[in-house]
Amino acid sequence: MSQESATPQRKAWREHPLWNWVGLLPFFLFIFIFLILPSLNLFTGAFTDQEGKFTLENLNILSNPFTLKSYIVSLQVSAITALVGGLFGFFVAYSITHGGAPRWMRTLISTFSGLAANFGGVPLAFSFIATLGQLGFVTVFLKGICFTGADGAEVCPFNPYDHGFTLYSMWGIVLAYTYFQFPLMILTITPALEGLRKEWREAATNMGATPFQYWRDVALPVLMPSILGAMLLLFGNAFGAYATARALTGGSIYLVPIAIGQQIRGDVLGNPNEGYALAFGMVIVMSVAIVAYTLLQRQASRWTRS
Amino acid sequence: MSDKRFNFFAIFWGIAALLYFFVPLYGTFDFSLRMERGVLGFKAYELVFADPRFWQGFRYSITMAVITIIFSVSIFVPAVYWMYLKVPQARPVMDVITILPFIIPGIVLVFGLIRTFSRPPLQLTLRPWSTDILMVAGYIIISMPYMFRAIDVGMRAIDVRTLTEAAQSLGSSWFQVLKDVIIPNLRIAILSGSLIAFATVMGELILADFLVRPALGPYMVRIGLTKAYEPAALAIISYSLTWFSLGLLQYFSSRSERQKQQVIEE
Amino acid sequence: MSHLELTHIHKSFTNFVAVEDFNLTVKQGEFVSFLGPSGCGKTTTLRMVAGFEIPTSGTITINGKDLTNVPPNKRNVGMVFQSYALFPNMTVAQNVGYGLKIAGNSKSEIDARVDEMLALIQMGKFAARYPYQLSGGQQQRVALARALAIRPEVLLLDEPLSALDAKIRVSLRTEIRAIQQKLGITTIYVTHDQEEALSLSDRIVVMSQGRMEQVGTPFEIYNFPQTQFVANFVGSLNTVKAEVSDPEKGLLHVNGVQFITATDIKSRKKGDAIRISVRPERFSFAEDRKKDNVLDCTIENITFLGSVVRIQVTIGNSRFNMDTFNNPFLELPKIGSKEQVTCSKEAVLVLDE
Repeated sequence: MSQESATPQRKAWREHPLWNWVGLLPFFLFIFIFLILPSLNLFTGAFTDQEGKFTLENLNILSNPFTLKSYIVSLQVSAITALVGGLFGFFVAYSITHGGAPRWMRTLISTFSGLAANFGGVPLAFSFIATLGQLGFVTVFLKGICFTGADGAEVCPFNPYDHGFTLYSMWGIVLAYTYFQFPLMILTITPALEGLRKEWREAATNMGATPFQYWRDVALPVLMPSILGAMLLLFGNAFGAYATARALTGGSIYLVPIAIGQQIRGDVLGNPNEGYALAFGMVIVMSVAIVAYTLLQRQASRWTRS
Repeated sequence: MSDKRFNFFAIFWGIAALLYFFVPLYGTFDFSLRMERGVLGFKAYELVFADPRFWQGFRYSITMAVITIIFSVSIFVPAVYWMYLKVPQARPVMDVITILPFIIPGIVLVFGLIRTFSRPPLQLTLRPWSTDILMVAGYIIISMPYMFRAIDVGMRAIDVRTLTEAAQSLGSSWFQVLKDVIIPNLRIAILSGSLIAFATVMGELILADFLVRPALGPYMVRIGLTKAYEPAALAIISYSLTWFSLGLLQYFSSRSERQKQQVIEE
Repeated sequence: MSHLELTHIHKSFTNFVAVEDFNLTVKQGEFVSFLGPSGCGKTTTLRMVAGFEIPTSGTITINGKDLTNVPPNKRNVGMVFQSYALFPNMTVAQNVGYGLKIAGNSKSEIDARVDEMLALIQMGKFAARYPYQLSGGQQQRVALARALAIRPEVLLLDEPLSALDAKIRVSLRTEIRAIQQKLGITTIYVTHDQEEALSLSDRIVVMSQGRMEQVGTPFEIYNFPQTQFVANFVGSLNTVKAEVSDPEKGLLHVNGVQFITATDIKSRKKGDAIRISVRPERFSFAEDRKKDNVLDCTIENITFLGSVVRIQVTIGNSRFNMDTFNNPFLELPKIGSKEQVTCSKEAVLVLDE
C-alpha cells in the first residue's frame, strides 16, 4: 500500500467502508424493484383516492361489514390453528425429545414434520376433500359403523355430515391448516426443548422438586417465550395463507386473503384503492406478529445465554 | 425412575401425530384409486397423465422452478458471500429483508406487482414472456427466506475469509473464488435451498393464478372444480414430488457427511 | 461414627464398568476430594451419592440411613454443578430460595434464609439479578448458596471450578473451603486438578479407570504414593528402569550407578528388573554429604520456571529432572559440567505398577 504514491486520495476513497456496500447493490436492487417498490406502491395506493390525492377515506373499507367479517374470520382461523396446532405440536415435540417416545417414532415424526410443514396449498385441500369430504375416506369409514337399532333398523350414528359438520366451512379450513401448522410447531419448538439443560432438571430434583414442580417452576417459564413466539409464527402463517382456502372452499369462506384476491380481480368494489387499504391492513397484522415474535425470541435467547 | 407414566403420554401424542400425518395421505391415495366403481385401479392417474394440459402445467412449472433456482442462487450466493467477507454490518438489514416475504404474504405481493408492473412505464404484464419475468421475480422473493437461510447456514460453516485470502494469494479473481472455492463448498446448502424452492414453485398458486400463467397450480384448481377423482391423484403426485425432492436432499447430504467422515478417519 | 458411607459400590453400564468396588467412610464435617483423570469414575460415584445414578450393587448410607434406592429429590444432599445450572427464569434470590419453597417453608422463613445465604457468599446486593447478568464466578457462588440453603446433610461439588478463569478458580476455591469449614458440612469434591485437591481436602481419593488407587491425606498422597499412577498423577516424578543388586540392603543399580532405597524390596531377587521413582524436588546439590545417595551427574539443561528452577541431569545413562527453588544469588552450574547430587533413601520409591 505504501507503493501507491500516485493517487493516494482515490485509494483512500476505495477503502472507505461505504464502498463495500456497493457489492450488495445487485441484491438490494433486485429486492427494491420487485419487493419494496410494489409494496410501497400498494401502501401509497391505500392512502390515495381516485384522483391521486392523499386521503384516509380508503381506510373506511376496514369498517365495511364484509371486510370486518373477513378480518374476524381470518383472525379466528389463525388464532385457533395457532393454538391447536401449537399445543398439539408442543406435546408431540415434547414426546420426541424428553418424553421418551420409542426411537422409531422419533425419527418418523421428525422426518414427517419436515415434509408435512411443506405440504400446503391445493394438494392439501384435495387431500382433505378426499378424506373428509362427503365421499371421503374417513367419512365413508365413519358412516359404515352401524349397529342394528332397537326397532331392527340400521343405525349409523357416526356420519359427521348428519351432525352438521361440513368440510367446506371454517372448521374444515381449520382442520386442513392444522395439518401443516402442528409440524411447523414441532420443527420450531424442538430446538428450544433440546435447549433445556439436563442440569436444570437435576438441580431442581436435587432441591426436592417433583417432575411436575420442575415443569411448573423452571421448564415452562423458560420455554414460554419460545412457545409464544412459535405460536405467533403459526398465526402469521395461517393468516397469510391463500391457496388451501381457495381450493377447499372456492372463496365462499371469507378470509382476508380471499377478499384481497377478489379485489385484484376487480370483483367486488369499484374503488381499487380500497383493496389496497385491505392489503395494508393485512401487512399491519403480520408486522405486529413479527415484531412480537422477535421480541420473544430475544427474551428466550437472553435467558438461555451463558 | 418413574418414566412409565411419561412414556404413555409420549406414546399417545406420538400416535396422534402419526395418525394426523398418515390418515389424510392414506385416505387420498385410497380415494384416488376408486375411480372405477368397485375396483381399485389407477384410472384417475391414467387420465391425469393423458391430459395435455397437465403436462403443459408441469413443464411450465418445472421450467420456472429451474430458472428461479438459477437466478436465486446467482443473486443470493454472491450477496451472502460479500456480506460475510466485507460487510458484516449488513446482517441486520439482511435479516429484515429476508423476513419481509413473511410480512408481505404472496397475495399482497402479487397485488403490488400487478399494480406496479401492469401499466407504463414498467409494464411487464403485456406479453407472456415479460410476465414470466415477473413470475420468476415473484418466485425468487417467495422462496427467499428458505434459500437465504440455507445459504447462510452453509456459509457460516466454512471459513470464508481465510479461503478467499488463500485463493487470492494464489491469483484468483473474485469470480474465480466464487466459482472454484465458495460454491463447491456450498453444494449441500445450495441443494437444500434449491429443493425447497423447487417444491415451493411447483405448488405455487397465487402468482400463477393472478398473472394468468399456465402453471401447475391453476391447472389443479380447475381440475378440482370439475372432477372428483383426478384431484386426489394430483395430490398424490404432488406429494410424491415433494417427498422425492426432500429424499434426494437427504441422500446427498448424508452422503457428503459420510464422505467427510471418511476423510477424517483417514 | 461415620456420616457418609459408601460400601462396595459397583456401577456398570452395558459395555463397560464405570466404578468398581468403591469403599469410603466419611466423618461428619470432612472434606474429601475424588481426584483423577476424565473417565476415572469420580463423577459417576458422586452422582450415585446424589441419586442421579443407581449403583449396580453396594449401598450408600448417610447418618445410618440407607439411601441407595431413595429418589434424588428426597435425599437432602446439596449439589453444585460444573455448569452452575442456575434457573434462568428466576432471580438470584428465587434460585437460592427454591429448595425451601419446595419444602413448603413460609415466605418469611425463606426470605430470612436467603438473606443469610447471600451474606455468606457476600452477594447480598445481587438478590434481584438474573443469572445472565452475572459472571461465571458469581453464578457459581449463587449455585453454592442455593445448595447450602436447604441445610443438606452432605454437599456435593462436581468440578465446580473447571469452567472458570484461573484467577477466579484460586480465590473461589479458598472461599468454598472457608464456608465449608465454617458450616462444618460434610463435603465431596470432584476434580481433575491436583492442586485443588491438595489444597482443599482433608482426605483425597485418587481414582483411575473406575478403581480407587489410594486414599489418604494430601500429605500422604503426595509423599507416600502407593502406586505408579498416583505418583505420576499427583506431582511430577522421575521414573527409570533399575536392577536389584542387594534386596536385603535395598541396593539397586541404574546403569551401573548405585541407589539405596528405603522401600522394602526384600521379597525381590538379585537381578530383578524394577522401576524406581524420585520426585524432582528431593534432589539437591551435594553440600551435605550425610545423605544416603551421593550421585555423579552431568548437567544437561537448565530451565527457569519462575519460582522453581528445573535442571535436567544425567545420572549413569538416565535422565532425571531436578527442581530447586529459585534464588537470585544462587550460583547455578554450567551446562555440561559434572556435579554431585544427593537424595535420601526414602526419596527413592519403588512402586506397584
